[in-house]
Amino acid sequence: MTMNTLRLLAASFLLALAALAAVPAAAQVPPPGPAAAPPPARLKVFVDWPGADLEPLRKEIAFVEFVAELAAADVRVLVAPPGPPGVGAFRLEFTGLKRFEGDDHALTHAPEPGAKPEDAAKGVAGVIKLGLLRYAAKTPVAKDLTIKFLDQAKPTSVVDKWRFWVFSLSASGFLSGETQYKSGSYYGSFSANKTTPEIKVRTSVYGNLQKSRFDLGEGSIYESSTHGFGGSALVVKSLGGHWSAGAYVEAESSTYSNLKLALTAAPAVEYDIFPYAESTKRQLRLLYRIGFSRVRYREETIYFKTAESLLQEALSVAYEVVRPWGKASVELEGSHFFHDAKFNRLELDAELEFRIWRGLSFDIEGSYARIRDQLSLSAEGASYEDILLQQKQLATGYDYSFSVGLNFSFGSTRSNVVNPRFGNGGRSISISM
Amino acid sequence: MSKFPGSASVLVLALALLVLLGPAALSLAAQEDQAAVDELKKTALKVFLDCDDCDLSYIKTEITFVNYVRDRLEAQVHILISTQSTGGGGVEYTITFIGQNDFKDAKDIQKYFSSKTDTDDDVRRGLVKALKLGLMSFVARTPIATRIGVEYAPPAAAADVRDRWRSWVFSLSGDAYLSGEESYRRHMAYGSFSASRVTPRSKLRFGLSVDRSKETYEFEDETVTGTSSSWQASGLYVKSLGEHWSAGVYLRAESSYYSNIDLSWAVAPAVEYNFFPYSQSTRRQLRALYTLSLAPVRYREVTLFGKLRETLFKEELSLTLDLREKLGTISLSAEASNYFNDLAKYRVDTFAILNLRLYKGLTVYVIGSYSYYHNSQISLRGREPTYEEMLLRLVELPMNSNYFAAVGFQFQFGSIFTNVINPRFGSSGSGGLSISIH
Repeated sequence: MTMNTLRLLAASFLLALAALAAVPAAAQVPPPGPAAAPPPARLKVFVDWPGADLEPLRKEIAFVEFVAELAAADVRVLVAPPGPPGVGAFRLEFTGLKRFEGDDHALTHAPEPGAKPEDAAKGVAGVIKLGLLRYAAKTPVAKDLTIKFLDQAKPTSVVDKWRFWVFSLSASGFLSGETQYKSGSYYGSFSANKTTPEIKVRTSVYGNLQKSRFDLGEGSIYESSTHGFGGSALVVKSLGGHWSAGAYVEAESSTYSNLKLALTAAPAVEYDIFPYAESTKRQLRLLYRIGFSRVRYREETIYFKTAESLLQEALSVAYEVVRPWGKASVELEGSHFFHDAKFNRLELDAELEFRIWRGLSFDIEGSYARIRDQLSLSAEGASYEDILLQQKQLATGYDYSFSVGLNFSFGSTRSNVVNPRFGNGGRSISISM
Repeated sequence: MSKFPGSASVLVLALALLVLLGPAALSLAAQEDQAAVDELKKTALKVFLDCDDCDLSYIKTEITFVNYVRDRLEAQVHILISTQSTGGGGVEYTITFIGQNDFKDAKDIQKYFSSKTDTDDDVRRGLVKALKLGLMSFVARTPIATRIGVEYAPPAAAADVRDRWRSWVFSLSGDAYLSGEESYRRHMAYGSFSASRVTPRSKLRFGLSVDRSKETYEFEDETVTGTSSSWQASGLYVKSLGEHWSAGVYLRAESSYYSNIDLSWAVAPAVEYNFFPYSQSTRRQLRALYTLSLAPVRYREVTLFGKLRETLFKEELSLTLDLREKLGTISLSAEASNYFNDLAKYRVDTFAILNLRLYKGLTVYVIGSYSYYHNSQISLRGREPTYEEMLLRLVELPMNSNYFAAVGFQFQFGSIFTNVINPRFGSSGSGGLSISIH
């Protein structure tokens, strides 16, 4: 078997190389269809409802085929009328047959007291329709079905004694090490949030601590630690479909940023050119914020300050769109301090994921910041180790990051086969706080 | 109307909303209809959506005829979505509807397949459709069912379903990454090619990847530069032997600056036994994999053991448990290997992920790994690393063991409903902790 396998591997490797060389030619070939053979068209349903006229059912439920013989059916629907006429409920039993074997469920329909028989039958038909959808979903008809909620209900139409407040307490620790290196990070936070269409409240307090230790050999050890803590609150009030007003309150202490304690209060307004209701599809938001801060530094800054009061304004424009071709987002933010306008900052972030053609996609992400407002930099500067281990904010006039990727897939990309043998690739985990 | 307590306040709210929306055209009848719909919404199905990589905001804005709850025990339906990759490079979403509380007798499983060429929007729309169809047999038991419309638009002609590529899928990708500030710069480039053919009977996969990176730090008048580069090529063939057994062979070639490998080759036949049937793999797997490998290696620098080239003969046994249950996710693995060249050279690696919703509102997670090396760092450089190589972790350092652990918990209380999406002032984190495992 091994010999055979090796031959196969060698042959396929050549094939793969040939395919690599033939990429531009292959790109002009029409796209592949799904790998599976064509399955039977519509679901076949046998309705067992003595004395009922099935014609209205046929009209109402066009996405299945009603058959006259149980032997031909994929699903059997047994309708048991209520006991005495006009009282109680119809019981509808759905039984899966053939490839739906074991896929059974039951529903009921209680007509309004005194309803006419035609209206009761119509109600039953409506329930049969909903009850058949789970089977139709497993047939090719699924892609031609659309389900709509005919009304708009407010998301807050629920009975909630907590009035939409949610509280979270969380803590995490990350530890890692090897013979010559150890590090630990610890985080804790408490938050209280409320989200309704009319108001949004986010409050939290947090603390963090990082420690690392390098054993450089011959008894020489390098140890470092950074920590930070703070709290923040945001309240946003909705003012119609496009406008919002709110305020931020923040407190922060950080060894990385040389802050002993910075307190900030900042009222803000936002305007979305598109209605907020379309936010999962597109947004173009303008946010203006004016903030007053009182800052105390850990070490004297390069501007010879140990404490100061600052007034700052910031304006940002953010555009986000998610469409069948991909998604894009751009955000531009500018800010400056009032005591001296030369202390300012301009930041641009942009991201684009674009499907150029079928299997050919392109993604680009970049950010650039022009930095002229590092008021908190320590006059003492950073040591060699602080720089290599990125433990202190450094003096810089800019920072940037840029990434670009191109991906081209072709071949049988619609194949739905799952083969878990020898693993399907590793696990990836992400934790956000 | 009056049999519903609180309907008066709902009416007032609805009225206030209407006044805000504009005084035009809406009649009193419309207001009463809206109040009736809001009443229906109160009795709508309570759903717990258990999905690690779904666009939850989108799902909640598109499917508004159910109520979303934050805790699994509160729900009438626990929707557990597990994923696996498909042969075409897409994702199989298995949507398991588990009835709870007064819906204990109801259950269903639906599937949605995304394709490798789908965009995020294609995937989220497809998933919403599958969710809606699957939800219907549950929603049909709630009064809001009368307000659901089903439209059917039959297609003009059947789609062409031939596969001229005979299940082969090819993928080429290239990435570049740059970042920096005045005293620090980092450049990275990565390229890869893969070809695969996956059928229920066999799996064939080839991959080639190359990466390069460079970091530069400036300190006073000094510049410290660290570069690293590596490439690897791999092949895998697996044949299915029933519901529990598989056999196959790995081929590998690699070069790595970090590991002091100039060029190494490996041929490794392997067998696998899964204690659960492979057909349950999206929810449960317990796989034991045994591999024998033969690998000629050439090093970049003379190793600690004084070698510049050698042929390694190694065996390896690994055990992997993956479970995705209502309670959460458990993933454990242990791997042991030794060299036949010298039986005293062996290593053991263990890895664990537990993310459990233990009790109402309480989530606990543990992620950990531990490795023990017994003279098994065969490729280690013979010389001492420099100070910069050490701080920037450019080369493998000698060690007996290494570990990583992350533990945490989150306790949530308060409102159980998470229906509302409020995008104002940006969708900053909802607070607390979120963990996703793919």
